[in-house]
Amino acid sequence: MDFIVSQILTGLSLSSILLLVALGLAVIYGVTGVINLAHGEFVMLGAYGAWLLQTQLGLGLIVSLIPIFLLVAALGWVIEVVVIRHLYDRPLDTILATWGLGVMIQQIVRLTAGGELRYVQMPPSLSGSVNILGATDSAYRLFVLGVALAMFCLIWVIYRYTSFGLKLRAITQNSGIASCFGINSALAYRVTFAFGAGVAGLAGALISPLKSVSPEMGTTYVVDAFMVVVLGGVQSLLGTLASSGLLGEISGVLAYYSNDTIAKALVLLAIVIIIRFRPQGLFAPRVRA
Amino acid sequence: MSGKVSFQILTYGVVCLAILLLPIVVDDAFLLNKYSRYLVSGMLAIALSLSWGYAGILNLGQATTFGLGSYCMAMYLKLKTVPIHTGSDGLPDFMVWNNVTELPWIWVPFHSTAFALAAGILVPALFAALLGWFMFGGRVTGVYAAIITLAVMVVVNLIIIDQQSYTGGFNGLTDLAQFELFGFEFDAYSASTYYLVAIGLTISLFLSLAVTRSKTGLILQAVRDQEERVRFFGYDVALYKTFVFAFSAAIAGFAGMFYTIVMEFASPTFLGVPLSLSIVIWVAVGGRQSLLGAMLGALLVTGVQGALSESETFLETWTLIMGALFVLIVLFLPKGLAGAFSALIDRLAPASRAPISQAVENSPKAEAHIGGAA
Repeated sequence: MDFIVSQILTGLSLSSILLLVALGLAVIYGVTGVINLAHGEFVMLGAYGAWLLQTQLGLGLIVSLIPIFLLVAALGWVIEVVVIRHLYDRPLDTILATWGLGVMIQQIVRLTAGGELRYVQMPPSLSGSVNILGATDSAYRLFVLGVALAMFCLIWVIYRYTSFGLKLRAITQNSGIASCFGINSALAYRVTFAFGAGVAGLAGALISPLKSVSPEMGTTYVVDAFMVVVLGGVQSLLGTLASSGLLGEISGVLAYYSNDTIAKALVLLAIVIIIRFRPQGLFAPRVRA
Repeated sequence: MSGKVSFQILTYGVVCLAILLLPIVVDDAFLLNKYSRYLVSGMLAIALSLSWGYAGILNLGQATTFGLGSYCMAMYLKLKTVPIHTGSDGLPDFMVWNNVTELPWIWVPFHSTAFALAAGILVPALFAALLGWFMFGGRVTGVYAAIITLAVMVVVNLIIIDQQSYTGGFNGLTDLAQFELFGFEFDAYSASTYYLVAIGLTISLFLSLAVTRSKTGLILQAVRDQEERVRFFGYDVALYKTFVFAFSAAIAGFAGMFYTIVMEFASPTFLGVPLSLSIVIWVAVGGRQSLLGAMLGALLVTGVQGALSESETFLETWTLIMGALFVLIVLFLPKGLAGAFSALIDRLAPASRAPISQAVENSPKAEAHIGGAA
């Protein structure tokens, strides 16, 4: 029994990280159609933000979450204004431009903060472990899971129950007609991009105590996050939730029975096959285009 | 029109000749080895220009087929190494360390030169043909095709790293013999290897030119601009796309074989995400819709990078500049330097070619909508 519980908890922990990283990407991709390959770098910046605030200003991780969110969101805002807004009608080129931006951000961090691995301390109040149904799990991992779910709910509420969310949904269904009704789609795209970047920064800060922080760390996350979003269905937030849960649990189980490398290869292979037969994702909503 | 074609062939020929004659001026073995590496990147750029520039398939995993070709050559050369580096019965050293007692069956045919040389081109081509059939048969296009190629590359890379006892794992295949053909040995640090690669580059360039100039090439460009319309005309779009995908893979595999000869090893980084994305940069800088432009873009970018790599700080800054340059080119020069160049020529000589190029210029780009339509 406790074996099964601990296996599920391992999967849930992987899932929560995937969900956190994928949420920002899902929001940006779903609303603006931009494939943001610099997303991993936003995650990395969040992790470096946590490291910087902790080592330079002595701030605890939880206190620094809000400034990190705001800083990375501000960067996202600037990037949208300078580069992305020129590319909304050239989706393939957004891959290239955002990748170039990612290379730049990575290199700037390497030149300023150095290429060596950095470590972020866990908040002391959460460094213990918790007993659940006979299995133990780190309190911090559960905290990350909680934050991931809270973020998801927040985005869900904004998307479903606010007038801004209503505008976003109108834009995703038909941006031309939405504009005719006086919705400022350029501003909506900008806010969305900045918000998605901020969420990525938050994700980076939250996972920084679990992993080592390095300029290259973003690369792995962007591929994983992208797979989650595509698997879940581009415009489906619930799909993102479900697919990150699914991928996390599957990777956990596969990693137990073989090894991490093969688990990753198998998951990717499965995703390739799914994209081939269901490019709209597993949980695509029925949107009339 | 025929005047334009012969002008193009002439330009391509002059550039290739200049590349072939370079060792007359340069007599430094180390430099020639470096230049051979740049030429290999030129071949890779040609391969990507074919699939991306001419057929609209953004292959983010071009390095997969490059790596496969490179490993084929490395397996062949590994089996040729002098016995000090091998175990009993000529078993490669890393297999001995991994307690492999017998040469695995995939390795056995690589004793044959003819098989190895053919495999370096055919294995990547078949791999790409299968993947192409899988993707294009299901009408996977644009972004999704790009993501599939990227994911497949990561899978192949992970498998090679994981299967250490058959592939050398993370370390790759090292301690290779020198390539020998008809009794002539190609030293990696010599003019002979440079000539070998330069000839390979010339062959790839002209074969690709022939493809783009053929009727198939024309249909591929039509597919790039309006896939649906070409399908309505009754063409088997998937077949054409699979063909160009496999052809581009064959060139990449060909380049990979040369790369192993020049570098004297093969490693999983040859199938890495960074290399694949570098290829995309080279082609974007040079101009994806011009084979020569893409190739020169690769030579230019790798050349500058190589010149700066002497100093560590310069190289670090260079990566930053590269990223910025790339973003600027995507924003302002979607057709790369070659596009800017031909626009300049058109402006200087408007009467002769304006009508044709104008029409191409104004043709609507594929109306890809990810946002609403699905």
